[in-house]
Amino acid sequence: MSQSQPTEADAEPESEPESFTGQGLPRVEDHRILTGEAEYIHDVTPENCLHMALVRSMHAHAEVVDIDASEAEDHPDCELVLTAEDLKANYNPMPTGVGRIEIGASGEAVELPEWSLADEKVRFVGEPVALVVASNRYAAEDVADLVTVEYDTLEAVADGMAAREDEVVVHESIGTNVVDHERIEFGDPETAFEDADHVVSGEYSWGRISGVPLETAGVVATYDEETDSFDVDCNIQLHTLVDDTIYETLGYDADDVRVNVPADVGGSYGTKIAIHRYCCLAAMASQQLNRPVKFEEDRIENLQGGDVHSSDREYEIRMAVDDDGTMRGLDVWFVDDFGAFPRYPINQVLKPLSVVTNSYVIDDVAYEYDLVLTNKTSQTAYRGFGVDPHIYALEMVVDAAAREIGMDPTEFRRRNLITPDQMPYTLPSKNVYDSGDYPATLDRIEEIIEDERDGGLLDPDVVAEKREEGKYRGVQTSVIIEPGVSGSDWTDRQRSNREALESRSREEVDELPEHLRAELREDGTVRAYLATDSSGQGHQTLVSQLLADELEILPSEIDVDYLDSVDAPTEYGSAASRMAVMLSGATVGLAERLVERAEELAADHWDVPADDVSYRDGTVELIDGSDSLSLADLAELDAERDERLTRVSYNYDHPALEHEEFDEAFRRKFPVYPTAAFGANAPIVEVDVGTGEVEILKFHTVRDCGTMLNPTIVEGQAHGGIAQGVGAALLEEFGYEADGQPQAITLFDYLLPSIETVPEIEMEHTETPSPYTETGAKGVGEGGMIDAPASIATSINAALEPLSLDEPADRIPVAPDHLRSKIRDAEE
Amino acid sequence: MSTDSTGEYDAPEPREITVTVNGESVTAAVEPRLKLSDFLRTECGLNGVRVGCEHGVCGACTVQQDGRAVKSCLSYAVQADGAEIETVEGLADDDGSLHPIQEAFHETHALQCGFCTSGFVVATKELLEENPDPTREEIERGLADNICRCTGYQNIYEAVERAAAKMRE
Repeated sequence: MSQSQPTEADAEPESEPESFTGQGLPRVEDHRILTGEAEYIHDVTPENCLHMALVRSMHAHAEVVDIDASEAEDHPDCELVLTAEDLKANYNPMPTGVGRIEIGASGEAVELPEWSLADEKVRFVGEPVALVVASNRYAAEDVADLVTVEYDTLEAVADGMAAREDEVVVHESIGTNVVDHERIEFGDPETAFEDADHVVSGEYSWGRISGVPLETAGVVATYDEETDSFDVDCNIQLHTLVDDTIYETLGYDADDVRVNVPADVGGSYGTKIAIHRYCCLAAMASQQLNRPVKFEEDRIENLQGGDVHSSDREYEIRMAVDDDGTMRGLDVWFVDDFGAFPRYPINQVLKPLSVVTNSYVIDDVAYEYDLVLTNKTSQTAYRGFGVDPHIYALEMVVDAAAREIGMDPTEFRRRNLITPDQMPYTLPSKNVYDSGDYPATLDRIEEIIEDERDGGLLDPDVVAEKREEGKYRGVQTSVIIEPGVSGSDWTDRQRSNREALESRSREEVDELPEHLRAELREDGTVRAYLATDSSGQGHQTLVSQLLADELEILPSEIDVDYLDSVDAPTEYGSAASRMAVMLSGATVGLAERLVERAEELAADHWDVPADDVSYRDGTVELIDGSDSLSLADLAELDAERDERLTRVSYNYDHPALEHEEFDEAFRRKFPVYPTAAFGANAPIVEVDVGTGEVEILKFHTVRDCGTMLNPTIVEGQAHGGIAQGVGAALLEEFGYEADGQPQAITLFDYLLPSIETVPEIEMEHTETPSPYTETGAKGVGEGGMIDAPASIATSINAALEPLSLDEPADRIPVAPDHLRSKIRDAEE
Repeated sequence: MSTDSTGEYDAPEPREITVTVNGESVTAAVEPRLKLSDFLRTECGLNGVRVGCEHGVCGACTVQQDGRAVKSCLSYAVQADGAEIETVEGLADDDGSLHPIQEAFHETHALQCGFCTSGFVVATKELLEENPDPTREEIERGLADNICRCTGYQNIYEAVERAAAKMRE
């Protein structure tokens, strides 16, 4: 089921285009999904499979005094109950993101172990305390209800700013909630702030949000006693990178834990990198019982305590600016509330450095953060990876600075834009923007707005009429950058000796390549193997069209499968808007290798020098034209050999490695993102000042991600990202009571955008190829989520400008009650 | 599968039900607490019925029961005794050719991860059976009970309009 199958209608285009790359080919993934045949992890239930349920804490912070499982064990359907005590006897804690934490002045370092089941203490509502296994999920939940846990409750801390005071400490062994902190200065921010005509500051909040894919986490683990190894089928994201969180916890070598992800995963958006707890627990249960064990997370578990919330930040941000509208300096300070444990994605506090000044020239920058722990479920990655709140806070302070100096906010932005003659542009934080004409993009979106002002949604008469009804319309444009194609070497900066990095040599940089494999099959078709997992991005379609061009055959003659974590090398995978660029580079290298091998086989067969044969359109010809061999012929010849020549693999090196512009960022482990996609949005918002409700009447956007490999997929990514940005800006939040009780544990409380709340999106594209990538493509997976919230927030500021409110959108989401309280404050 | 349990040991007495699923009669003895969605997935093997929230918000489990689109996670299998159920698996022809709605979703890229797709396809079927030529506002109302987290809905409007045109032909 995992292979890609083109539908018949798509298989042969009526007139073959010169190149499949660049065409909006319909996806090969669709047929199996539309017919219901696609096999997601929830659909995998091997024979003899048992089912797991979890007993979870209802307290945010408590000592576990006693766990009584006797009644549960007496239940006729009960197969197993495990608690932390059992785990500690046989397994390891899960790896954390920070690892060893230095405490006190002595610099003594202590570990911060996170057991898959809470040990002695629970630290968030929903934290698993015991696992039970029974014949089916219904029975397993009956059994789980019979486990009695006695708690001694403790005071909780559920606010990131309060947690910094350490009055309530989440982990007593380290004595503080601030587990990572760094201040980095670029240029001379102190002088810039002293010399500038004005210093403007703002405080902005970004509420706790996440991706909330429609498919929850799932795992089927099977322990094999004979080989003493595990098969872990699950929907984890980055299964070749984060499989260490599973095999290290189990205490096995990587080769003994085969992590396999189905071809179809029901959305992830970064979040599912953190579902390893479930994988570990199901694997442990399977080992204890010697039977397959399945776990399907339910939605309440997912929202309440599923380890999958994301960024939750408080910003204090300052901008130094001169009377003439020159941005002189930027000083960013924020707290990110990571919840109970600092997990792998701690580097999302650093990713904003890749676009630290967004589209503006600002030479002197200070960047500082505190990473704090609280009694909430732990953070994971989410589309944007921490850049979205940074861009929001930055664009808010840009608005504030424009007001301070009395300049039109669009004109203020325009004056400070990076210009095409400055490309490639090295940011103060050492990442490099590859290409783009930002002023032209701003001009184009302003033209579109001008049209709306001339008889459209922003026609002055309409705006005035609506204002009479208490409905305020407005829009604010800006150019926003999407960093793409992250390197991997920098991602462990927080686990490195940061001082030593200043003298690190370029040779020490160790990047993960992208691995791709292919084989020629008997019938002359090609099967490619991806070493990454997918969750809706259309990688099978993309690789088949790219490879078809390189091999000069049809996409329908190629299908694409996936490798598990044992067959694939450790590599980064589908994150950080990487795959279009990495797969296109890998495809070119892989095809070259396959062509070479085909020619070698043919030359060998004809017993001529390799120079006498040439590959064209899926056949190898003798250059005198006297004979030719098809791919099927070659497959037949190859089958007779002891070692197959037409099984090839290729590792594509990260593209920034060969450009010395990136050397300093690489050396010092600052975020390296060699593509800068960009866009300018104009969401036309209407705020009802009576209710505080915001409606987006239309969302205009002009976007550029370099060469579009499959424009249909590119547009789909932009639509989806913008929709998630709309949700973040206006609807979604995992709120908490002061005592750590979560307020959003169903989809009635955590509001996802519906077809009624996502506006019509009017999109235009320009194509400025990247000079750094094989095809000119740039990463494009996250743009809308990065730029839409900032655009919506600043547009709300613009709409309410006549009311002279104090920064109405200073909190994300901009919920009706927040706006109403701002309006009430102004009325008083 | 978040069901409330009484914590009692006695398994509830199974009840025999007969349901017509995609044109075929299925008789089974089921626990009264078995959700219709789980019945369709586990007893009938119809995995196209996706389960996304189990509390009636996301719509991934939408099926047609006696012609009406319903969220199958919100009722029990025993309540469907005697009913006719149609799932996404019942849409394509026996020869494998896709239903016009399925074709339209494919042609307009109205799906990405695909987990919501069965629900949208079935909800669209009900919408177009009632209204063969819906306006954008009517599409909005008709599909407001289904959540898609990937597509931003833009291409779903187009899919519905294209499907409607195909079905009117």
